[in-house]
Amino acid sequence: MSVNKNQVLIEVQGLEKAFGSNQVLDGISTDICQGEVVVIIGPSGSGKSTFLRSLNLLEEPTGGKILFEGTDITDSKVDINRHRQKIGMVFQQFNLFPHKTVKENIMLAPVKLKLMTKEEASARADELLKRVGLPEKADTYPDMLSGGQKQRIAIARALAMNPDVMLFDEPTSALDPEMVGEVLELMKELANSGMTMVVVTHEMGFAKEVATRVIFIDDGKIQEENTPEEFFSNPKNPRLKDFLSKVL
Amino acid sequence: MDKIVGFFKNLADGFYFNFIEDDRYIWLLQGLQTTLEITIFAVILGIIIGFIVAIIRSAHDKTGKFKVLNIICRVYLTVIRGTPTMIQILFMSLVVFRAVPLNKVIVGGLSFGINSGAYVAEIVRSGIMSIDQGQTEAGRSLGLNYSQTMRLIIMPQAFKNVLPALVNEFIVLIKETSIVGYIGMMDLTKSAMLIQSRTYDATWPLVAAAAIYLALVLVLTYLMNKLERRLRTNERK
Repeated sequence: MSVNKNQVLIEVQGLEKAFGSNQVLDGISTDICQGEVVVIIGPSGSGKSTFLRSLNLLEEPTGGKILFEGTDITDSKVDINRHRQKIGMVFQQFNLFPHKTVKENIMLAPVKLKLMTKEEASARADELLKRVGLPEKADTYPDMLSGGQKQRIAIARALAMNPDVMLFDEPTSALDPEMVGEVLELMKELANSGMTMVVVTHEMGFAKEVATRVIFIDDGKIQEENTPEEFFSNPKNPRLKDFLSKVL
Repeated sequence: MDKIVGFFKNLADGFYFNFIEDDRYIWLLQGLQTTLEITIFAVILGIIIGFIVAIIRSAHDKTGKFKVLNIICRVYLTVIRGTPTMIQILFMSLVVFRAVPLNKVIVGGLSFGINSGAYVAEIVRSGIMSIDQGQTEAGRSLGLNYSQTMRLIIMPQAFKNVLPALVNEFIVLIKETSIVGYIGMMDLTKSAMLIQSRTYDATWPLVAAAAIYLALVLVLTYLMNKLERRLRTNERK
């Protein structure tokens, strides 16, 4: 995959989101470029998950714009379903389809959206299962998998759509501690392969090691963003200093 | 000893007199056929109406669309669930189709179908609501639209969850059709009463009719249990 670091994939302009009178996102602007791994951290309730979920419009912004590959997806005339096909998402609670086998989970969207034939999707699913290290689970149902396995399948399911960017919403927060590693390892591999990623997480180790940029969100605003080296060794914002002192 | 023999002889005579003489059992069979026709018609109509209403209602709850349709659905649910089934079939027969020469089975099937649809709708809606919001989000995030997500992801799971409640609704429905005698239909119950009017013996005809209803319900329960078990074990391998 050719990586053009300067090409902007997602351009966020003054993004706002309010639930009633509660202003969760208060004017967030940032660019996410191709090949970047952006890690978003912040205290709970800071709006970081809402921000991530706004990027594919699972939350509808109440203000601002999101340009994905040049198209303003907050425009109600835009066919959001077509753009979502290019934005993979991985959830904290996995959200695998319990009535489908692992392989059917992976094949469902590409086949039903007529992006691949059944045969192509099947081959792609086999390839992805191998990539996430679970080829023997193809015909298993999600209920029979461990949390870590579920999340790896969820990642494979998102990758099956050949997305241009992957969003991760606290992908390891619902996992038992011994399973966090396998998921982070897979995400690291994905990052190394050049995938553009936006990750909301509490795993500071992952942020330090894998991120190309770290963003600190609090009170619905970006308080600080920097390279991981600068971000962790030389934080400027007092709230970030306070936050880091608690989590590191 | 004589008393016992006499008892069984009476029993046999009663059976012969009520069912065999003049081929009266055929009335029961014809009644059974009518009951089954009405029930099957009503079940199919009830499922169609129920699913449509449930989908409109839950789509409205989630997206805020279909305002007018949602109001129509709510009026329908309120009226049907708030009035006796008996009044509904009398109304259908004596008011709505009074001047229309329509087959009574269709009138009965329509009445019970419209009635059952209201209950099915609320059962199915509760099933849709019971599926975690994350399932919808996962479907939508893959690029599926709302109706694809409903059809491929939410409905199959919701259906599985509400199957026992649906079966229960159909069991109630079979038994409720026994009031169609009031609009002049010869169903299983009415045919039992017809035999009684000829033989002046209510015991045999009523016991027979009850046994047939019971058998129908048992068969239905058995089939649904089997289906339910198969749907469940599916996910555990």
